[in-house]
Formats: sequence, structure tokens, C-alpha cells
Amino acid sequence: VTVSFSSTEFRTMAAGRRESDDPAAGLGWAARFAAARAEYAADARAGRGGRAAQVRYAAAMDAVVRALSADAAPAGPVVVCAVGGYGRRTLCLHSDIDLLIVFRGAIGAAEERFLSRLLQPLWDLKLTLGHHVRELAELGRLDDRNPEFLMALNDLRLLAGDVALFDAVRVAVQAMEAAHERPLVEALLALIRDRHAGFNDTLYQLEPDLKNAPGGLRDIGAVRLLRALAREALAGRTRPDGERLDEAEEFLLRLRSWLHVESGRDMNVLTHDHQERVAALLAGDAGDSRQGVEALMSRYFLHARTVARALDRTRAAAAPAPSAPPEAVTSDLLVGSDGVAFRDPSTAAAQPSLWLAAFETALAKGQPVSDQVRGVIQEHVHRYTAEYFVATPEARRRLRALLQPAPGLSARLAEMLDCGLLGAIFPEFERIHCRVIRDFYHKYTVDEHTLLAIRSLEALWHPVSAGRARFGSILREVHAPELLTLALLYHDVGKWRDDHHAAESVRLAGPMLARLRITGAGRQTVEFLIRHHLEMSQVAFRRDFGDPETVAAFAAIVGSEEMLKMLCLLTLADIDAVAPGTLTPWKEDLLWRLYVDAYNHLTLRYADELIQKDQADRAQVLADRPDDLSERELARFLDGLPRRYLRVFGHSAIYRHVRLARGLLPDEVHATLERRDDIWELTVAALDKPYLFSNIAGVLSYFGMNIHRGQAMTTPDHLALDVFEFSDEEGFVRQNPGAAEEIARLLRAAVSGARDVARLLEGRERGARERRRRLGPTIVRVDNAHSRKYTVVEILADDAPGLLFRISRALSDQACDLDLVLISTEGHRAIDVLHVTKHGRKLDEDDQAALERELERTLEAAYETH
Amino acid sequence: MRLIKTIVRPNKVDDVRDALEKLSIPGMTVTEVRGHGRQKGHTAIYRGKEYNVSLLPKVEIEVVVPEAVVDEVVQAITGAARTGEIGDGRIFVLPVERAYNIRTGERDI
Repeated sequence: VTVSFSSTEFRTMAAGRRESDDPAAGLGWAARFAAARAEYAADARAGRGGRAAQVRYAAAMDAVVRALSADAAPAGPVVVCAVGGYGRRTLCLHSDIDLLIVFRGAIGAAEERFLSRLLQPLWDLKLTLGHHVRELAELGRLDDRNPEFLMALNDLRLLAGDVALFDAVRVAVQAMEAAHERPLVEALLALIRDRHAGFNDTLYQLEPDLKNAPGGLRDIGAVRLLRALAREALAGRTRPDGERLDEAEEFLLRLRSWLHVESGRDMNVLTHDHQERVAALLAGDAGDSRQGVEALMSRYFLHARTVARALDRTRAAAAPAPSAPPEAVTSDLLVGSDGVAFRDPSTAAAQPSLWLAAFETALAKGQPVSDQVRGVIQEHVHRYTAEYFVATPEARRRLRALLQPAPGLSARLAEMLDCGLLGAIFPEFERIHCRVIRDFYHKYTVDEHTLLAIRSLEALWHPVSAGRARFGSILREVHAPELLTLALLYHDVGKWRDDHHAAESVRLAGPMLARLRITGAGRQTVEFLIRHHLEMSQVAFRRDFGDPETVAAFAAIVGSEEMLKMLCLLTLADIDAVAPGTLTPWKEDLLWRLYVDAYNHLTLRYADELIQKDQADRAQVLADRPDDLSERELARFLDGLPRRYLRVFGHSAIYRHVRLARGLLPDEVHATLERRDDIWELTVAALDKPYLFSNIAGVLSYFGMNIHRGQAMTTPDHLALDVFEFSDEEGFVRQNPGAAEEIARLLRAAVSGARDVARLLEGRERGARERRRRLGPTIVRVDNAHSRKYTVVEILADDAPGLLFRISRALSDQACDLDLVLISTEGHRAIDVLHVTKHGRKLDEDDQAALERELERTLEAAYETH
Repeated sequence: MRLIKTIVRPNKVDDVRDALEKLSIPGMTVTEVRGHGRQKGHTAIYRGKEYNVSLLPKVEIEVVVPEAVVDEVVQAITGAARTGEIGDGRIFVLPVERAYNIRTGERDI
């Protein structure tokens, strides 16, 4: 609308419009305005109250103001302007009518009469006015007490009055904005911060405020205003969101129009009740009302996220420039004011390996990924398939490393999601992009819930309470935490459907696991965690796990303490991400108690639960056996082993073990050494004999190996099977091509008794003792309560070279048989659980006391210096 | 009217709720609480280290019912929450002097 007339033409303009263009010609302005409101309300009720309808309604309002201004007959030069939302012509039925009335001279009685004649009829119409009255001279001064008014001036629009005065107003406002660009930008940024704080800084509101919440209409206005105010800072920046921002605005305006009409007041909060009513109207023909609401809210979150990210980018660009120059990180990447950036964006556009590198660097540096990087990726990511990103072993290794739940991971994943990279690498995740599941528990969209769950997991590195610190300690022990991230990333992807989401999530994880070449135990772990991600909370909160049978049943499902740790962490993170306050300390306690009970069951009682002939997984191992293994040979190997064996070893490992155990003679040892990334695995089969375990552990220590995890078990046929995972701390295997054979040779010599391992280790142990510092208390606990057949010895001690050798040797010195062993480490602490017997029976009280004393003496002796 | 305040095991909440629904008790308040009675917690062991769990997680369920059905409600809660083991919980019955509807401001008892 272009308005150009002088103050003397008020009455002429109003009359002229009435006679020529107005469809309701012949009616008075009040009746015409009522007709316009009715037309707008009808549009709004039909879901058509978007920009076009609001512009029409604003034009009707313009006509009213012009008519009233003309009737009010000003005595001197005056201009009546629309500002704020009305200035932008985004006017809902019950919006404030923001007016700026400026007089050229001082405001006296005549001017006040004009104001009264202009405003009184508007109040009589029951409109809410936000009117500002100024003398021209006042406009040039920055009034920082009212930042909202300063922002509203940016949408200044002439309605009626003296055009020369309007020009002067424009000049004054422009001059004020130009002179105070930085304070204005900072005032606007502060307003945004304060407003967002009122919404806990999240756009994922169950009942969102369409105007004020993050991602709402005010944010769209803020993006445009920042871009207008900070023209220089934003010069040359790409604005990939322009069109999507318009779409978001249209969607939000339609909803807000509907809300105003339906509620009969300036109502901007889309309540659950409103969602149900508006869903059918705006969300198309989506099935039942629940599905309709979910579809509506999915669209809402999609748009709100577009707005929020546009605002983030604009805010970052409009923020003051840092004084420090960008820091070069590699030949391709640097860290600038808004995060990690490409040195040469045009080259990077065709090198997706650099995209991942940008995120790796951002994680390592604790920085965000810049708008520039996200813009480049967003523009080009559609050219690549999911397979492309994981086509080489190195690419797969890097991706898995990236997914380690380190601080900042969820924020980087959110950035990857934002620019399309996450969806490109994990296309299955796209199915839950902005997906809303409406229930009384979840507060966020499914994808946001997932990212928040990962944030909750990574926060365990820096726990906020002693309660959380317990869970942090088990995160540190998890062997492959990136599998936990993958399981979390996929645990709810099946929610794109409405039923059986866990099974659907497992199905969708299948292609991802295949692309990443995650097979065997890794694949089983991810699939198990996804399939059973609700199991632990069900048991913890709904069943009586004070009943040992409940714990036994849960432990049987979980199978191993490693899986228990991962499931516990996943459960904790999943609950924490449902809504603020869902994971109460009360729930944490219940979860922890179940974890402890199940952990104790899996580590202290597992020896009593032997593989049964009618067990399904035993039958499966037999059915899948390769041709070189007979059923009889395999069954003889399995029967008598604890059930745990079938849970912690995959089929191929079991078949390898059977072959390894073939043809063993007394004093012989069969061993294999394999490498998995930086970890080596030594598997040893031998016929059991005193000091066997300590000799094997001693040999590994002799070669400088740091044992991280392991287990040993003995069959009723006296076959001992020991598996150790260790790191080659001193590089012995890495630097010696014949290392594997040399280890095997010394193993044979030690087991046969040809070499005395204790003597071999003497020098190494002496050196270690001299360097050793106490890090934590030593705990030795011997009990006969947990297992029917064994005395269980639990040891927690500072990890040290030869520790396992000394412990197991002390046991053998006490004439104890070491039947089962679990070895694990948490940082620098060793956690060993040993099942022992003496002459085939549990230890009596005297033997227990003697063993406890001997172990404590042995462990304390490790700290002595000579 | 009587306020029936019940402390039960966490896993018994659904059973108690179902039992109360069968009696058409219209509303209830459920609160996560911790405490101990005669049970006085227990000793837990994690990795060889013993620690005392003195305050156990429990759930408090509150309902307001007419005096005439108090016995029936108590019986239903007892039946639903009992395992026969120490730690099954407690039921307290208290008089209610007045009750107001916050929305309308009306006194309804």
C-alpha cells in the first residue's frame, strides 16, 4: 500500500476510497471494518489465516485508522504510522494495534484533542492499542529504556498524515539506527535471550507459544530485524533458509490466526485441546485425532527448528567479531569465531572426507561447526549415498571413533542433522526427523529425544551429582561405547510406525550395521540394546526385583556384565531424555539397585548356571556348526560350561575354541593371538593344573602386556580355556614379526614347568614396585554365600604389571583351584572376580580367612619399595 | 471423608491402582518417596564393598474416600500390595476436615 497525501487531504482520501475501491461501498467505516473482521475470521477458521489474509485484514485496519485520522482533523502537521507486527501487516484478530503518532511541534491541547478523537473510537471497537506518541525532536534520541519500541520502529509504515513529516521521521529513525547499530543489535540479542530463557531455551514445547517460544513468530521477526540492523556484519552471508523461513511464517500465522478466532482473545499458546481441534483442519486427512495431532506437531517442530536455526546462524553472524584471528588446525581446516571452518570451501564441497574431519576437529577442540561448513554440506550432501561415507575401512573406523560419547557429541550430531549429513550417513534416522509421538510422557520430537539421550550419556563424563557419578563410573568401563551411541541413535527409529517400535528399530538398524561392517558380537550388542531398550526400566520400576527370581530372569536376558552396563546406561539416558524431571533421583536409585543386583548375579552367581541340554542357544550353536565339528565333540565341549559362555562368545569364536582344545596332552598349551584395532586377544587352551592361570598371566606381564579384560573357565573334563584382552604397552608384538611365536614358546615352557615365570618377572616387578603410587583402597572379599559350588573372591586394587599373576599365584599357593575368572579394569583399577575351590569343595572359614590374609599381604607387598 | 495414605513397594503401584479403579475410586495422588519402617534398609555389596541402603524407594498413594468405603478400600489396597515379606508397606487413615475445588473455589466437603 502506497500512501501519499498531505494532512489537508485526510477527508478527501477517506471519501475517495469509500466511493471507488471499497467492495462494501456505501457502508460506514465501522461496518466495513466489521465485515473485514468477519471475512478474516472465516479465513482463519478455515485454516487460511496466513499472510495473505492478514495483509487484507491489516489493510482494513489501515482504512479505519485513515478514516479516523481524517475525522480527527489535526490542527498541525502530524503523521500516523503502523509499527511492529502491524507495521509488517501480520495482524491477527486480537493482536495489539501498534501505532506511532508523531507531531512536528510540541504537543499541546489541540494535539491531545486529535489523539482523543483518533484513539477513542479504536478503543470503542475493543481493539488493544499499543500507541506511542512523540514529538519529532524526540525520535533522533536513542531511548534504551524501551528496546521493544526501538525494534518496532524498524517496521515503520505510513498510514496517514503529512508526507514531509513522514520523510523527516524516516530520516530521524534511520539516523538513530545507523548511529546506534551495535547497541541496537545487542539490545535485540538481549531481548531474545531473555525471552528464550522463559522457555527453558528449548523450542520443543509440548504446548508451544506460537509467538514467543523459541522458533516462533517473534524469532522470525528477530531474524529479519537482525539482518536489517547488522547489514555490514551479515554482508556476503548466504541465507539458505529464506524460502523455508517464509513457509514457517505462513504455517505459524495460520495457526495463530485460528487460535485468536477460536479463543476470542490474544491467545498464542497451542494447548493440547487446541492441537486436537486444529489438527483435522490443518494436518490434512491424517487418520484418527492422535495421528492428526502428531502430524500437526511434527510440522510445527519442523518449522520451528528451521526458524531457530536461522536465528542461530544470524545471531552468530551478528555477534561482535572476536579480536583473535582464526587458528589454523590443518591444511584444510581452521577454527574461527563461529567454529570450525574450511580454509577453501569450494574445494571442500567436493571432499566429503573433509566434512567428517570438520566434525572430528570440532569435537576435539570443543567448538561448534561453523555456518560456512554446514552451508557447504547442506548444498552438496544430496550428491552422495550412505554407502559412500563408509566405503573404506578407514572411513568406518573414523565414523565409529566420532561416535564415542564424548562431551559435545550430541551438539555435533545436531549440527550434522541440521545440514543433512546425519541423514545422509544414517538415512534410517530421517524417518523420525521431527516425528511427534503424543503421549503423556514425552516432551520432545523423537529425533530430539534421541539427541538428548546422547547428551545425557555424554554428560556422565562430568556428572552433576553423586547419583549420576555411579553411572559415569560404568561408562568408563564400557569396552565399545560407540556401539552404545549407535544403539541410542537407532533405538527409536522404529517410531516412524505406531506399533512395535523396538522390533522395527532393530530391522532398520540392520542395513546400517551392514554398511558399517559391524558384525558378530558388535552387531549382536547393538541389536540387543535396541530390542531390549525398555526392558530394564520395566523391571526396575514395575517388578519386584527384591525377588531373586526376578533378578535371575533379568540377568538371563542380559547375559553378561558388559551388556548389563550398556543397557543400564542406555536406559538411564533414554529416561533422562523423555522430559525434564522424568529421571528423578528416586528412579536413579531403583535403576542402580537393579544394576547392582544383576551385576552381582552375573559375576558372583553365574558359575552355578550351566549350559543345559535343552537350551535354545546351545541347540543353535550345534545346528550352525561347520562340517569339521561333530555334534558329539561340540556338545562335550559345551556341557558343563556356564551359560554365560554362550552369551559372551559368538558362534565362530566357540568353534575356534573347540578346534583349539583338540588333542591337548598334559603340560601342552594351544594358543592363538588375534588383533582387533589396538587390542590383542590371546586365547589359550590347556589341561588344568596348579599354577596354570598364573603362569599364563605371568607370561603376558613378562612381555609388557597390559591386561584389560579376560575370563577363564574350566570344564568338568579339566579343560581350561582362558581368554585375555590386552594392549601391547611396550610395542613388543608391533615391533617383532615373530612375537606371536615367541609368546607361544614361552607359554609352552611356562606351562610345562621348563621356565619359572616368577623368576622371569622378578626384575620387572621390582621396577614396578619402586614406581608405584597408591591410587585407591585395596578390597579383598571372600564369600561362600553367592554360589552353591564355589567360594567367590572379589578383588579391587590398583592395576599394576603382574597383578593378575600375583593374585592367581597366591591362590595356588593356598592350594586353591581357580575354576572361573572374570577380569576387568576401570581406568587404573583392576576388578577381578575369581571362583575357587579347594579339593573340589568351597573353602571353609579357616581357609577363607587364610586366603584373605594371603591376598591382602600379596597386594600390599606390591607397594613396598626396596 | 477420609484420607487414605498408603506406602507400598514401587512395583505394586499398578496393582493398587487397578484395585482402586475396580472400586470406582475417582482420583489418586502418587508420589515417589523414600523411607524405611521395620525393614530398616539393607546392606548391599558392589564389587566387594558393602554399603548400607537405609532409605528404600517406595511409593505413596493418597486417596480421599467416603467413610463408608474405607474398610473396603483398605482391604483392596492390602490385597493388591501384599507379598507377605517385610517391606510391604503401611496404610494410614486420616480424617479430612474440608476440601476445596481450586478451579471454582467451591468447598466440596
